[in-house]
Amino acid sequence: MSLQALVGNRGFLALLLGALLVLPAFANQYTLFVGNLMLVYIILALGLNILVGFAGQLAFANAAIYGIGAYGTALLQVHLGWSFWAAAPVGAVLAMVIGTSLAFPALRLSGIFLALATLAFAQATQWVLWHWQSVTFGAGGFRVPPPDFGWIPIKPDYGVYFASWAVTLGLLLFAWRIMRSRIGRAFVAMRDAELAAQALGIDLLTYKAMAFALSSFYAGMAGALYSALLGFVSPEGFDLFQMIIQKAMIVVGGLGSVVGSVLGASLLVYVMEVLREFKSTQEIVFGALLITFMVFQPNGLVVFMKRWLPGWEEPLHLADRVEPAAPVLDASLADTTSVEPSASERT
Amino acid sequence: MLMFSYLMATGITTGAFYALVALGIVIVYKSTQVVNLAHGELFMVGGMLAYTCYVMAGIPYLPSLILAVAGAFLVGILTERIAYRSVLKHGLASVLVATIGVSFVLKGIGRYIWGGKGDYLAFPPIISPEPLQFGNIMIMSQQLVVLLAGIVVMGALAIFFRRTRAGKWMQATASNPKAAMLCGLRIDRIYMYTFAVGAAVAGAAGVLMAPLTHLYPDVGFVLFIKGMAAAVLGGLTSIPGAVLGGLLLGLAEQLSAGYLHSSIQDVVAFLVIMFALIFLPTGLLGARGLRKV
Repeated sequence: MSLQALVGNRGFLALLLGALLVLPAFANQYTLFVGNLMLVYIILALGLNILVGFAGQLAFANAAIYGIGAYGTALLQVHLGWSFWAAAPVGAVLAMVIGTSLAFPALRLSGIFLALATLAFAQATQWVLWHWQSVTFGAGGFRVPPPDFGWIPIKPDYGVYFASWAVTLGLLLFAWRIMRSRIGRAFVAMRDAELAAQALGIDLLTYKAMAFALSSFYAGMAGALYSALLGFVSPEGFDLFQMIIQKAMIVVGGLGSVVGSVLGASLLVYVMEVLREFKSTQEIVFGALLITFMVFQPNGLVVFMKRWLPGWEEPLHLADRVEPAAPVLDASLADTTSVEPSASERT
Repeated sequence: MLMFSYLMATGITTGAFYALVALGIVIVYKSTQVVNLAHGELFMVGGMLAYTCYVMAGIPYLPSLILAVAGAFLVGILTERIAYRSVLKHGLASVLVATIGVSFVLKGIGRYIWGGKGDYLAFPPIISPEPLQFGNIMIMSQQLVVLLAGIVVMGALAIFFRRTRAGKWMQATASNPKAAMLCGLRIDRIYMYTFAVGAAVAGAAGVLMAPLTHLYPDVGFVLFIKGMAAAVLGGLTSIPGAVLGGLLLGLAEQLSAGYLHSSIQDVVAFLVIMFALIFLPTGLLGARGLRKV
């Protein structure tokens, strides 16, 4: 371990997680809540970045999957009387199964069409949460009992905090490792050039399914923790705006960067909390952040980190790939005989 | 039978309206290959501007309509210049993210200016609120206005694309941007006007529909999904397809609400999008022989 590794992205992660670990010692109730929210959003941003930033699947269903995780966990506790510790993994796996089933349309659809199909899926999920009243309690939401810590002498909110911290650490390390493994490299190959990836022997169905599975497991786990953190679940928390918040986190942090997701999530949770009272300002700020980063720095804050901090490495980050020049114009050049401009969008 | 003819009549009038929303989406998609996710919010802005002119400032209806459409046109130009133009070169996925950013900025501005959550602005009907009687079917007169105005807008667009130079430029850019550029068209500018025309159509739809839907900042997305369903069903690149898709969606919604359950109505659009994209990727009237997804 050189000094460079200490100031680089590993150092940043260690510092942030260390700070979050000792936070409860100094925090009041509200700061503890914000810290916990930060942990939940770090998990969410990691999951979404695996799907969008690494595997290049522009899907809009993450908020809905997050909701399925939260509802799954909470409903198992309320309806079947399960304990949180049994319900949370099952809720996350349920979210994973539903999320993975989205991979099958994803194999046939790409780009805009995948985005639209997943957007429709997200809205359909909202509709189910609203109308399946006998199970989901409808639009008003419902209360969830706090997790039981049994023999461990700890207050529930502190307990949830440390549980979230441990889960975040585990999922962060997992994402870090797996994105540098064969699987992560396959995702990146798929993102950068699907045909070339196939030619290299990467089975698109398997790896797309894997990307959706990983990402929805992360979202489901975050949902499970969120239901315990808030002690209350309602459809409103998992709407389109939630999607924008998560999208803004990975865009601001950096698409295709594990540390970028953490960076974006922790910064934007803070912004979100400052503006909590003002829904309209929140919408304007998050929308404007998306636009600003798309226009000026589509690769996110990690670009600056990489430039300024020695030892900050981003091997699979989007910025390293060669951008195709003006794809909108090239779309027809590739296929001049066709009348349809979108022909080059074929999968 | 009475119920059936009633449902058919309502289906056609709401369908005409969905077709109008879909038209704007199709115009933008056809020439830029971008689905403008902010389309619903442009609709909302159009309706809100008309509300400001007509109800708050007391301007007569027709000038309010023109002002609102012009306002939406301007917003379309602004969003293209600020958000989309420089992002277009990064690829379509980036533009999609930018359009959703724009949609939330517009929604937030709408909420900031025209009221908070749960506030519905009621737009007074333009003509008498009495329902009209045709045989034994009752139709809200405002729905008839929407239907007629929808037909007018569609006709105007058809003339615009067939007969005017600007319309032909847009078509040329749509079918082959590179060749259009080589012919001396400034495609940057054409994209800008395409987004603006799309926005103006959305604004017009917003004004026409305001008396029926009421106005609130979140109205846009709901209608965007319905317009999107209609556009996808029609093939996304075809203007007659958008009209057909809109009418079919309207009928499907009304019939399912009438014969199955009223809450099904809201989910029809999502189902249509999912199934149309997966099983009917070129839509009903999209180009044949090319798989575009």
